[in-house]
Amino acid sequence: MAKYRIDVATENCSGCSRCELACSYTYTKAFNPSRARIQVKMSGADCSVRFSEECIECGICVDQCLYGALSKTKKQEDQP
Amino acid sequence: MSRGGFAGKVLRVDLSAGEIRREPLDMALAERYIGGLGLCLKLCHDTIKPGCEPLSPENPIILGAGPFVGTNLPSTSRVYSVSKLPSSRTIGWCGAGGFTFGVMLKNAGLDHIIIEGRSPKPVYLKIFDDRVELKPADRLWGRSVDNTCQALWDEFGMPTGVMCIGQAGERLVPFSMAFVDRISTLGRGGFAAVMGSKNLKAVIVKGSGGVKVADRKRYKTLSKAFLDKIRSWPHLKQAQELGMVQAFSFVPRDEFARIKKRRAACVSCPIGCKDVVEIPDGPFKGLVKCTSSVINLYTPALYGFTDYRESIKCMVTLDEYGLDMFEFFGLMAFAKRLVDEGIIPRDAAKPEIRLNSLDSMETWARKISFREDLGDVLAGGFNGIIQQFGEEAEKLAPALVKGMHPYAGPGSAISWDRFGTMELGQVLDPRGPHVGSGGSPTYFASRPLKVFTQHLKRMGAPSEAIDRIIKNADGPTDRQELKVGALLRYSHAWFTMLGSMGICARGHINRFYNAEICADLYETVTGIPTDLPALRERVDRVWTLYRLANLREGLDRGKDEIPPEQWFSKAGFKNYLTGEPLQRSEVERMIEDYYKEWGWDPKTGMPPH
Repeated sequence: MAKYRIDVATENCSGCSRCELACSYTYTKAFNPSRARIQVKMSGADCSVRFSEECIECGICVDQCLYGALSKTKKQEDQP
Repeated sequence: MSRGGFAGKVLRVDLSAGEIRREPLDMALAERYIGGLGLCLKLCHDTIKPGCEPLSPENPIILGAGPFVGTNLPSTSRVYSVSKLPSSRTIGWCGAGGFTFGVMLKNAGLDHIIIEGRSPKPVYLKIFDDRVELKPADRLWGRSVDNTCQALWDEFGMPTGVMCIGQAGERLVPFSMAFVDRISTLGRGGFAAVMGSKNLKAVIVKGSGGVKVADRKRYKTLSKAFLDKIRSWPHLKQAQELGMVQAFSFVPRDEFARIKKRRAACVSCPIGCKDVVEIPDGPFKGLVKCTSSVINLYTPALYGFTDYRESIKCMVTLDEYGLDMFEFFGLMAFAKRLVDEGIIPRDAAKPEIRLNSLDSMETWARKISFREDLGDVLAGGFNGIIQQFGEEAEKLAPALVKGMHPYAGPGSAISWDRFGTMELGQVLDPRGPHVGSGGSPTYFASRPLKVFTQHLKRMGAPSEAIDRIIKNADGPTDRQELKVGALLRYSHAWFTMLGSMGICARGHINRFYNAEICADLYETVTGIPTDLPALRERVDRVWTLYRLANLREGLDRGKDEIPPEQWFSKAGFKNYLTGEPLQRSEVERMIEDYYKEWGWDPKTGMPPH
């Protein structure tokens, strides 16, 4: 599986959790935000996005983001 | 095929006895009533003691989230509550999105919660996966919505789903609202008062069980196609930028740009029409407000506020107490009129009621929420005022439907004058006036009829029904015909379909769904064989049961489904197509059309046995 560098623009994040849902569904076969390898926390106007150590930078989360809060760049070693 | 979507359990809480038990969800019932809203209505119908008082222990609270909630299907976070509501005295639904509550409920293994009885002391219900407890709420009772949410998040961390009430709900104000995750409302009708009457301050939930889908392969194909469709929508960026402001010109865009802090979305929503704003300057500089939509924050402007910063501050106060803004301002306008006419003694109305004054409105919000002085009478709502001040007051009352102030129409907050499905729906949804259930293209004035044809197809209306509802869509305007009553029947069915699955009904989201896709997705997620005719049948079963439950409560077509006189005044509604002043006889016909289209008795609205 390709690996990506994942960049986060928290100012664009809406807290929709689509990234957490997709990640957990991919790796646990169930939608389960608490087991996602990306964790989004929104509190008022503040937002933080963290990745757990289990994250393998597959970029599934980025594919689900429609707000431009996540973006991915293919890592050098995977390029031909 | 395995089963999915449903978590599989119902939590039953007896507050009087302090007993809690988990029961398996009756899957046959779930199939018949779809889930979410539909199953909430069925469980309420089966649980409630007919004729009970809304604020009595016999009135249950049914909470639920549909089978799509917790998945990543777009905008599927809806939570519903059903109870007998104190304002309308009818069994009614309240619905909310939110950040985490619905998803956490499903992840905690629950589709529904049935809450009965009355706790002897204030409590909150804590659900952390299988660990469910009633906890003392002494330290939360008396706190605002915002403060309660924050206290619970400080103690239990984020993300924890929180549904709670403010001081107005604690004091049984019949136009108090509960809040979900601080941002969404279970609103209109006084649901928070039902919680308050049970000494239930909050329900909090955290879960880690996961939500599965039955057919993963098909789900992958369908959900990808769906997301691609949304991603390629040319107006996506604009919708994300502006949210509800797109449709409401009373929010100046330059001000919105100045206060907008970030866009906020309910779980799984690709549009994100909720707002986080911050007042940039002036005496309230730095005040941050999370809101269901910025348009709500401008409601005081409709009543004369000229400084948007004061308008936002006023709404922060109303939301903290948990007061319904439409009812509050309608009520204050009524009270002012009664003072001006000498029916309420001027001495009793201190401070002076000034609808455009922050000081005055905040003080009255407090007096109502804490039932101080005249505030105690106003806290009884329109019915409370009329009971106190008698016939003279009643003659001066604004338009009322089931004891509530319509949100749209002459004298109401929203002054749209074309009479469409949402306007008629204020009379024909048993729960009383609410913005949620009657949506259709009549939301906007002067839409071409061909748009209605497409919309009806999308809602799953049979072609013969479309032919009954729309005539001469492509013909000259003076020969066109639109049966608003019959159209509303399908709006209600569509709302039922969306709500029962857990999909948001806001226009900019439901535009991506159609009834066929809903049937496909339902079968894919739940594993329950479902085609469009079967889904239609279940939807019709739900809304018909909703009506029957209310007829059992005494809903009377001749008393409760009467359009108010003010709608036919000089400044009243206009016919949607012609723009001519609306006649009572037209609305009576629409009501009959609505009943007929459902297959109910056209005179009484009674469904056949």
